[in-house]
Amino acid sequence: MKSRIYRNPVGVSRFTGLLLILPFIIGAILFIIYPFVCSFIVGLKDGSGDLGFDNYKNIMSDSNYRQTAAVTFKYTAFLVPLKLAVSLLVALLLNCELKGIGIFRTAFYIPSILGSNLAVIIMWQYLFTSDGLVNQLLGVIGIAPVGWYGDPDKAIFIIVLLRLWEFGSTMVIFLAALRDIPKELYYAAKVDGCGSVKAFFHITLPQLKNIIFINLVLQTIAAMQEFNAPYMITGGGPLGSTRTIGMYIYDEMFRYGDEGTANAVSWLLFTLIGAVVILLYRFTEKLRRD
Amino acid sequence: MKKTFLKIAAACCIISLSACSVKKNDSFTKPDGKLDKCSLRFSWWGGDDRHEATLKAIDLWNKKYPDITITPEYGGWDGWSEKVTSQVSSSTEPDIMQINYDWLIALSPDGNGFYDLGELSSQLDLSQFDDEVLSFGKVGEKLNAVTVSVSGRSLFYNSQVFSRMGADYPETWNDLIALGNRFSEDGLYPLDLDIQSGGTAWYLAVVYVQQQTGRQFITLDGRLGFTVEDIKNALSFYKQLEESHVIRTVRTRTDEDGNAALYQSPEFIGGRVAGVLEWGSAVGKYESVLPEGVLEAGPLLTDEKGCSDGWMIKPSLLYAISKNTKHPDEAAAFINFLLNDEECAEILGTTRGIPASHKAEAALQKSDALNGLTKESESILSNAHTVTISPYMELSRMKEFYNTAIEAVSYGTSDVDSAAQQMFDSVNNYLEKIRK
Repeated sequence: MKSRIYRNPVGVSRFTGLLLILPFIIGAILFIIYPFVCSFIVGLKDGSGDLGFDNYKNIMSDSNYRQTAAVTFKYTAFLVPLKLAVSLLVALLLNCELKGIGIFRTAFYIPSILGSNLAVIIMWQYLFTSDGLVNQLLGVIGIAPVGWYGDPDKAIFIIVLLRLWEFGSTMVIFLAALRDIPKELYYAAKVDGCGSVKAFFHITLPQLKNIIFINLVLQTIAAMQEFNAPYMITGGGPLGSTRTIGMYIYDEMFRYGDEGTANAVSWLLFTLIGAVVILLYRFTEKLRRD
Repeated sequence: MKKTFLKIAAACCIISLSACSVKKNDSFTKPDGKLDKCSLRFSWWGGDDRHEATLKAIDLWNKKYPDITITPEYGGWDGWSEKVTSQVSSSTEPDIMQINYDWLIALSPDGNGFYDLGELSSQLDLSQFDDEVLSFGKVGEKLNAVTVSVSGRSLFYNSQVFSRMGADYPETWNDLIALGNRFSEDGLYPLDLDIQSGGTAWYLAVVYVQQQTGRQFITLDGRLGFTVEDIKNALSFYKQLEESHVIRTVRTRTDEDGNAALYQSPEFIGGRVAGVLEWGSAVGKYESVLPEGVLEAGPLLTDEKGCSDGWMIKPSLLYAISKNTKHPDEAAAFINFLLNDEECAEILGTTRGIPASHKAEAALQKSDALNGLTKESESILSNAHTVTISPYMELSRMKEFYNTAIEAVSYGTSDVDSAAQQMFDSVNNYLEKIRK
């Protein structure tokens, strides 16, 4: 008796389809699902190896954790809107058809490729020291030197500025979306007497709303996971004013060797990011639909 | 399809549960007394002087033992402890490691975190070490590590700056305070204390109070020896150092140097900060950024009666073998080479302090290599009534408590009384937790 083979309209068997996605399934099980489950279980273990929610209770009552969560939200709240605005502005400027515009597009993208490598971090460190370039430039225009690193209110902005400088990836996504907006819309608006500013608010922004949402979500997730820049530039100080949740996890895991707490905080961060993304989705749902 | 997915998910959970709850492997590869052909990884931290000397020593080893290849892994201190912790927790640590004193508690609380070197006596000559020195590396009955050198923190000064200022190196705490006022007129600082990974700020404050009270901050068995009043005195003393312009405030220091280490700071290299509190075994990195012979060792600070109690010593470094090594004999032979080989001792010099091994020390003496700041520091400390630092004092979590208090007092976000009380409670609770 012949076995039945299900075929889809283009004639490929279901077995072939499954075989083709098998590497991804194996990869996902090994490198995503398994570590996730493992991390959750380790997060439930207290110092004596018993399972429970003690780690979560301890974290919630830890003032250091609450401070790092506040720093993370503050950092995200400053960085994400600024980065989206700057990226969109630069994308608009680079969307024109000028000779050699490709060079400018590449130049603006380069900081994103450099990322938080050591050379960039060292450069950034020296830019903002007492006698660094930033204070020297401020001196030229008659402003007294600013204590960037030592002031708990200002230190976080050094990190925000570094990440803002790396706006290339967000800008490229905006640029691609801008180039997809039909030119006819602008021609028709021009015929009706619409100016550039009006066209931006009534044509460009509505056409970009889904892309703005995607960038908003991607940047929010990245900002809430921030680790490299504060770790390298400020070490989390002064007074913990730049210590993010990512740094808290790192310290618990590698500096203090507390695997349970580190994994529990990782899950809290995962939950926090999930909640923020759902909130963003809900708040922007109407705007995106209209 | 749904059922298949559920089955896979359930299988993952079961595997994870069993994998995550598996007891760590405590079985060691037994020594066979032979040296077979193999490749070993050896890791250490330090400054450039130590790196260069150690790489030369490895070259010598490769000539003497061409069948046993050593792969070096090295870097600076910052982040090194975190790197090794992650390697140990994932069982990917090197075969041979240079370790810090407190890692014995953190990574081997029951003595099973490292190989028991007592089993490797056929390759490792332990007769070259005093019993007290060997005891530093013991956890219970197991010898987890061998002490490379014994060292303490001493004061080192920029002689050019001091001679320009016409100042002598301070001998008493009062001299130091007076120097701060004098240096402040020129915008200079006679000393610097940090709250980064070095954590020298709290260290000096502890020495001051230990000298006054005779009480040890943390005892060798991990109990808090200071009272709240002692901690208050230590924090007040720190604040006094800042107010007298002996050291920069945390805010000034952070503004000027960011997150950079002092030996990389333009303020130290340029001479605006003219002194440092550092381990005798690690002072090379400060020495090398100043012109030759400029950095000099100063006396240990005493009270007005000349009492030098309270200064501390510890095994500056230890060598340990991974419990997961497949080549314990070969690893032990390499440690023996590093510690006891006379040619190797001459190459390494005092880059890891004055060797604790009698054989290595004699070799350096013979070749007239026992000199420099490391030797001076050791001589100064050997003339004082030093106490051995508790390994508990150096734990990373404890350093966080010290730095939090110092930072709060320096910035004025907390008064000395409440910062002291908070530190007392935190330290006490933590020590109680880890002693269990």
